[in-house]
Amino acid sequence: MRRPRLSLREQPLPGGQPLAFAIGLLIALIVGTLLLLGAGHEPLKIYSRMFEASLGDPDAWAVTINRAIPLGLAGLAVAVAGSMGLWNIGAEGQIMAGAIAAAWVARIGDDWPSVVLITMMLIAALGGGGVLAIGPALARAKLGVNEIITTLMLNEVAIRLVQWLIHGPWKDPDSYNFPLAPMLPDQARLPTVFSRAHFGLFIAAAVIIMASVAVRYTAWGYELRIAGSSEATARYSGISLSKKILTVLVLSGAIAGLAGGVELTGTADRLTETLSNGFGFAGIIVAALALMRPSGVAVVALLFGAVQIGGQSIQTLGVSSSVSTILQAFVLFGAIGAGVFSRYRVLLDGESQSASKEVKQ
Amino acid sequence: MTQTPFSTSVPHLAVGLSNIWKSFPGVIANAGVELRVESGTIHALLGEKGAGKSTLMNVLAGVYRPDQGDLKIHGHSHQFRNPSDALAAGIGMVHQEFRLIPSFSVAENVVLGSASSVLRTRQVQSEVSEIAERFGLKVDPSQPLWQLSMGERQKVEILKILWRDAQVLILDEPTTVLTPSEVDELGEILRKMADDGRSIIFISHKLHEVSGICDEATVLRQGKTVASSLSMESTDQSELAQLMVGTSASVATRPEPVTPGPPLLELRGLTALGDRGLEAFSNLTFQVNSAEIVGIAGVAGNGQRELADVIAGLRPSTAGSLLMGGAEITSASPQLRFKSGLAYIPADRLGVGLAPRLSITDNAILRVYRQQRRGPFILAERALSYCKDIVNRFGVRSGDLDGPIAALSGGNLQRLLVGRELDGQPSVVVASQPTRGLDVQGVKAIQELLIEQRNSGAAVIMISEDLDELLAIADRLLVMEGGVIRGEFDPRTASRHEVGMAMLSDGQVASQA
Repeated sequence: MRRPRLSLREQPLPGGQPLAFAIGLLIALIVGTLLLLGAGHEPLKIYSRMFEASLGDPDAWAVTINRAIPLGLAGLAVAVAGSMGLWNIGAEGQIMAGAIAAAWVARIGDDWPSVVLITMMLIAALGGGGVLAIGPALARAKLGVNEIITTLMLNEVAIRLVQWLIHGPWKDPDSYNFPLAPMLPDQARLPTVFSRAHFGLFIAAAVIIMASVAVRYTAWGYELRIAGSSEATARYSGISLSKKILTVLVLSGAIAGLAGGVELTGTADRLTETLSNGFGFAGIIVAALALMRPSGVAVVALLFGAVQIGGQSIQTLGVSSSVSTILQAFVLFGAIGAGVFSRYRVLLDGESQSASKEVKQ
Repeated sequence: MTQTPFSTSVPHLAVGLSNIWKSFPGVIANAGVELRVESGTIHALLGEKGAGKSTLMNVLAGVYRPDQGDLKIHGHSHQFRNPSDALAAGIGMVHQEFRLIPSFSVAENVVLGSASSVLRTRQVQSEVSEIAERFGLKVDPSQPLWQLSMGERQKVEILKILWRDAQVLILDEPTTVLTPSEVDELGEILRKMADDGRSIIFISHKLHEVSGICDEATVLRQGKTVASSLSMESTDQSELAQLMVGTSASVATRPEPVTPGPPLLELRGLTALGDRGLEAFSNLTFQVNSAEIVGIAGVAGNGQRELADVIAGLRPSTAGSLLMGGAEITSASPQLRFKSGLAYIPADRLGVGLAPRLSITDNAILRVYRQQRRGPFILAERALSYCKDIVNRFGVRSGDLDGPIAALSGGNLQRLLVGRELDGQPSVVVASQPTRGLDVQGVKAIQELLIEQRNSGAAVIMISEDLDELLAIADRLLVMEGGVIRGEFDPRTASRHEVGMAMLSDGQVASQA
């Protein structure tokens, strides 16, 4: 009997990733339909609401874009490290660290002109995120300590730091003893571009383009890609791995920090302990779906933002919030699953790969 | 399970593998392999690294599923879906990397992964002691594993299999972790198991070790069986060695003899450690002259790979010094060595010499991208034209130069790598297994390129497991075994037999000790 089995392709199917994302959406739609029917809802009505709320009109686009900005920057942070085969799981904490640094600048510079203040806040945010990544970067570069664990643990540290600040030294004296940081001064708010979409759109786009160009076209990015493809090849050609690891992880942290700064000046009124809102973890997913390519992050972030916003919107129709989370999960599940399968082909028993271009004769 | 009608005709055949095919992307690891192992014997499975030994045994142990082929255990056909299927049929394998848990006791490690939900420690301990006693495996079942030496851990792996009552035991390169006295002890243990009616398959590329232990030998080369069930008693060792290293179909014509020039590369008492922290080679002293190809012959795993790495600067040396063109480079960086004229063609093409996920162009410029910059940017047109130049001059057949390098065939990969390394007119060329796995034209092309380098005055070191190749194109032949040079030959006059014996000389020394 001939049984089918999977065999690794020598090269991934061309165009496999967009296809994978489409399949993911399709799987989510099918599962979601069953789920919604089971819960007694009308799937079509729900789906059209999701679409309207996320991409239906300019206002909806603005909401989606505002969500895509931190997702894109966090995804970029993960993808830059991922280009070298490093995993920055600490974007969530680095977002917080960036937001803390930006909030601190807003406290000391509340009488500066708006452009200066916001610029300084964003620079501080870059620094804050970068500083949080220095420890894991040094440990990985010099001692080989796994960066996944160290970056992950620092998330907790950064979130606790925010909690301490807003319960303690930075508590607003006018908050009637609620643990709230003071509102940001008006000149620390990013202007809007259209509807409610804020200027962070251009910042994120610029940073994503810059990073994509750097990784793709510079000698620095070339060395990064060599090291990401094979460490042995990097050593062979004389690339200093430890220096590379150090700069890439710190840069990754800085980009995540920038996401925190932009989020603070763009959409938040004040520093809160929920500011990072899972963007750092969602960024891992965004980067994974973009196959760790900085250039792919923008599109994925936009689509992912739309799915999130659409999912939230249907709660007003009485759909439980967990249903929307499940739908999001299935988009990912399907997309990643389809992405994996695009690297395989199905063979029947007895059939063998046409790998024999160079038979080891 | 189906019983084939002819199975009863050979009741003593423990394992019968016929026409086994298994391919991986880009490589056919097993191309119609045959293996017959009788009950109560120790069977050596010989072959060089990459000959397909481990793949074949992983097929037998249920780790891989063959693309095609027939697998009979004690006359019954089987199709294993996983290692537990194989274990149920009485086949167990001790892998090179042990699968043991340091904080568990010996007995706990032995039962690890078996179905029983309640761990009856006492009972298991007494069972384990009993098996250990019977076969002379001296380990204390209650001792935690982390206290044991590598040799003792190997005994635990063997106990794991015996406790599951396997009738066929596969040992993958079991002697690499053992001291010489432990090797002798292992031989005795295996003999007791064979006398008990079990079959042992002993994978090795070290001839002298299996000759004292095994009854029969099967030799694999490049995925095929080249000799089946030879009796170890009646077969000459050098004959086996020649079977393992094989003969090549076509080689470039022997270069005209020229008088070598001054020494360009000198090793003075060079010593370095291998991956496991043991000495890979020690106190090597030789020199390679201008306009000379020095061939390094030997069975794989005798320090050649480490030697190439040390010369290229990818592995530190622990003693001695290395000179290039009279200048000390013992601790120079790989990049500095390249700049001063050292080209290195590593044995691991995709993984050391080339970056598998990057494009052909990106791989072509690996040595020169630093000179192709304007500001921080790499000039794309210059990179592309450089790549085109290499591709044209060295006959790389490729489609899209921006396509992934992994899409190239083995021969074209190697042409690109060799072309890139030879482009800067190096004074010293280190080529490690430069023709392994290539087709006939590929082998010839690479050999001719190396000869061309020699003729234009470069000092070439060629490390190869293909003795015929070295005899044909080298000017001088050094045989490496056990990390030292066992002999120097003139390839124009030396015979295969002489050189083959030198590859084994340590075996004779060790067996006398």
